[in-house]
Amino acid sequence: MISRPNPNIIPDLLYTLGNVQQDQQTTTEEIATGRSVNNLSDNPAVAAMIVNNNALSSQNDQFLANVSDLQSKFQVGDSALSSAIQLMTTAISVGTEGANGTLSVSERQALGAQITGIQQQMLSLANTSYQGTYLFSGTVVTTQPFAEDASSPSGVSYGGNSGVTSVEISTGQSMKTNVPGDQVFTNSSGNVFQALNDLANALNSGNGIEAANTEVQQAFNELNTQRVFYGNALSQVQSQESFLNQDQVNLSQQQTDLAGVNMAQAISNSSQEQIAQEALLNVTGQVLNLPTLLNYLK
Amino acid sequence: MGTLSSSLSIATQAMLAEQDAISVTANNIANVNTPGYTRETTEMVEAPPIEYGGYVFGGGVQAGQITSQRNNVLQLRLDDETQQQGQYNSFLSSMQQVQTLFNETSGSGLQSSLSGFFNSLQQLSTNPSDLTLRQAVLTAAQNLAQSFNSTSANLTQLQNNIDLSVRQDVNQVNGLTSQIATLNQQIASAENLGQAPNTLVDQREQLVNQLAGLIGVSEIAASDGSITLTTTNGVSLVVGNQSYQLSTHPNGTNGFQDVYAGSADITSSITGGSLAGEIQARDQGIPSVLSSLDALAASLSTSMNSVNKAGTDLNGNPGGNFFTPPPAGGVGAASAMSVAISDPSQIAASLDGTAGDNSNVNAMIALQNQGIVNGQTPMNAYSSLIFQIGNTVSTAQTELQASQAISQQLQDQIGSVSGVSINEEAANLVQYERAYQAAAQVAGIVSSLTATAINLGQTTTVS
Repeated sequence: MISRPNPNIIPDLLYTLGNVQQDQQTTTEEIATGRSVNNLSDNPAVAAMIVNNNALSSQNDQFLANVSDLQSKFQVGDSALSSAIQLMTTAISVGTEGANGTLSVSERQALGAQITGIQQQMLSLANTSYQGTYLFSGTVVTTQPFAEDASSPSGVSYGGNSGVTSVEISTGQSMKTNVPGDQVFTNSSGNVFQALNDLANALNSGNGIEAANTEVQQAFNELNTQRVFYGNALSQVQSQESFLNQDQVNLSQQQTDLAGVNMAQAISNSSQEQIAQEALLNVTGQVLNLPTLLNYLK
Repeated sequence: MGTLSSSLSIATQAMLAEQDAISVTANNIANVNTPGYTRETTEMVEAPPIEYGGYVFGGGVQAGQITSQRNNVLQLRLDDETQQQGQYNSFLSSMQQVQTLFNETSGSGLQSSLSGFFNSLQQLSTNPSDLTLRQAVLTAAQNLAQSFNSTSANLTQLQNNIDLSVRQDVNQVNGLTSQIATLNQQIASAENLGQAPNTLVDQREQLVNQLAGLIGVSEIAASDGSITLTTTNGVSLVVGNQSYQLSTHPNGTNGFQDVYAGSADITSSITGGSLAGEIQARDQGIPSVLSSLDALAASLSTSMNSVNKAGTDLNGNPGGNFFTPPPAGGVGAASAMSVAISDPSQIAASLDGTAGDNSNVNAMIALQNQGIVNGQTPMNAYSSLIFQIGNTVSTAQTELQASQAISQQLQDQIGSVSGVSINEEAANLVQYERAYQAAAQVAGIVSSLTATAINLGQTTTVS
C-alpha cells in the first residue's frame, strides 16, 4: 500500500524556497563584493590565509616606503661623495701644478690657499645632513661629525662614532644604511682631511709637495672606494623596489586566487538560482491554487 | 424474528453514528491550518447483536472512539531533533556575532592594527631619532591597544547579552513546564472518565516541542495519560500534575547565571535546546576566543616591554615598559592593554645609547617573526584564531542545516500520519453523507411498513 503523503506540502515548499533564496543571497553578496569569502565561515582556511596575505602586503608596502626613503638618503650621500671626489680631483690638479718647480712662492701659496678652500668645502660635505640627521656621523646622528680643530694634525676632529645601522628591506633581509665619517673621510688607508691639510702646508712651505700629492691620491682612491657603498646601495634598493613591486602584484594575485569571485561563474549561478526560484514560486502558486474534491461536490 | 421497531432503531442509530462521523470530519476540516492539530477519525463499530427466537440479528452500527492519528515515536524523534536544532541555532547565532567582530575578509580587523604597529616600527628604523616617527609608533601602539580593548569589550558584551537570554529561557521553561503539568492533570482526569482527551494531548505535544527547543528533555508516558519530563540527565521538570521550577543564580567566579534545579547546579549538564547553545557560546565558545586574544595581547605586551627595557631611549635613559604589563596569567590582557609611555622620546630604539642606533627597534621588529605566542608568530597566532572562529561557525552551520533537514523530514512524516487532507475529508464526507441518507431512507421505509401494518385490512387511515 502506498503510504499516505503529507497533505500539507507548504512547509516543504517554503523550506526549499528558503534554501534557494539563501543560495541566491550568497551569490549576490559574492557579486557585489567581488569576493567569494565574505564571512570567516565561508572558508575558514582561506580567511586565515587572507589575514596572512594582508599582513604580508601591508609589510611590503612599508618595505617599499623604507626603500624609497633609503633611496633618497643614499642619493644625498652619493651626491656628497661625488662632490667630494670632484674636490679631490681638483686638489690633485692643484697639487700637480704646485709640484712644478717653476712656480714662484706667491703662486705656490695661492695654490695652498686654494687647497685650504677645498678643505673647507670638504668639511661642509662631510657634515651633510638628511632629514635633520648627519649622514657621516655613525650613529651619533644629531652631532655634527666634523669640526675644525687646529690642534688636530688633519685640521679637523671627528665627533661621530663608527656605528653602522641597518634597515630591513624585505622579510629577513637587511641592508646597511650608512658609512661612518671616520671610514669615509679619515680612513687610515687614505685620510682626506689629513691629505688636504698636508698638501696645503706643503704648498705654503714648498716642502714635501710630492709626498703630499701621493697622500691626496691615496685619499682620492679611498674616497672612490667608499663611494662604491652608495653605488651598490642605490643599485640594491632599486632592484629591491622592483622585487617588492612584483611581490605586491603576486600577493594581490594570490588574494584574488584565494578569495576572488569568478564573475562569469557567479553570474551564471545567480541566473540559475533565479530560474530555480521562479520555477519554485510558480509551482507553489499552482499547488496553492489546486482545487480540492470539495470543489466538485454538489 | 426481527421487528420493524428494531429496524427503525438500527436506522436511527446509524444516522446518529454517521452524524458523529460528519461532525469529526467537520472538525478536521476546521482545523486544517491549526498548528499541532492531529487529525481525528471515527471508529465505526458494530452494535451488539440481538438474539430473538433462536436467531441472531445484527444490532446495527454505533460510533466508537474518536481517535487522534498520531505516531508517538515520530513525535519523540522530532522533539529530539528540535533540541538539537535549538542548541545549534542559538550557538550559531552567538558565534556569528563573534564572527562579525573579526571582519578580516574585508581587511578591516585586528590584523591591520597589528600590521600598522610593526610597520610604524619599520618606519622608525630608518630614522630612529625622528620624533615624528616615534610619535607615529606610539599612535600605532595606541590603535593596536584600542583594537584589542574594543574587541574584548564587544565579546564580553556579547556574553552579557547571552547571559540575559539564559535567564529569559529559564523563565520560559518554567512557564511551559507549569502549563504541561496542568494539561497532565486534565488529561489524566479525562482518561479516568473514559474520555479521549485528543485536543489536550495536541496542546501538550505542542508545549513539549516548544520546551525541547529550549532545553533537552526526556519523556516518559504514564498509564494515566500523563507524561513525566526530565532533563536529559534526569532532573525532573514535570511529574504528573507537578512541575519543578528551574532557577538562576550568579556564578561566584564569572558572575554569569548558573541554572539550578532546586539546590543542584545543572548548568554544565544541560545538553539540548537553546539554553545549551547559549551556555556553550557563553562559557566555551566566547571564552576560547577571549583566551586566544588575551594570549596574543599578553605575549605582545610582555615581549615589547622586555625589548624596550633592554634598550636606551632618546634621552639616554634605560627603556621601561612599552605597554602596561598584562595581568598575571594573561587573563584580561586584551581588555587591559594600554601604552605605558606617552613621551615618544621614551621609546628605547637604541642599544648603544646613541640617537641614530636602531638596533633595538630592529629587535622590536623582529618580534613579528618570532614564536612569542605559544610558539607562533603574532600574525600566525591571530590567523589561527581567525580559522578557529570561522571553523566553529562553519561547523555549527553544517550541523544546523543537517538538523533542519532531518527536522523537515520528520515533520513530513508526522504530517503524513497526522495532517488533515481536504480531499480525504471530502471523500469521507460523501461516504458519511450517503450512509446517513441510506439510513434515513431505511427509516422512511420502516415507517411506511409500520403504517401498512397499522392499516392492515382497513381503508388507509395512516400513511
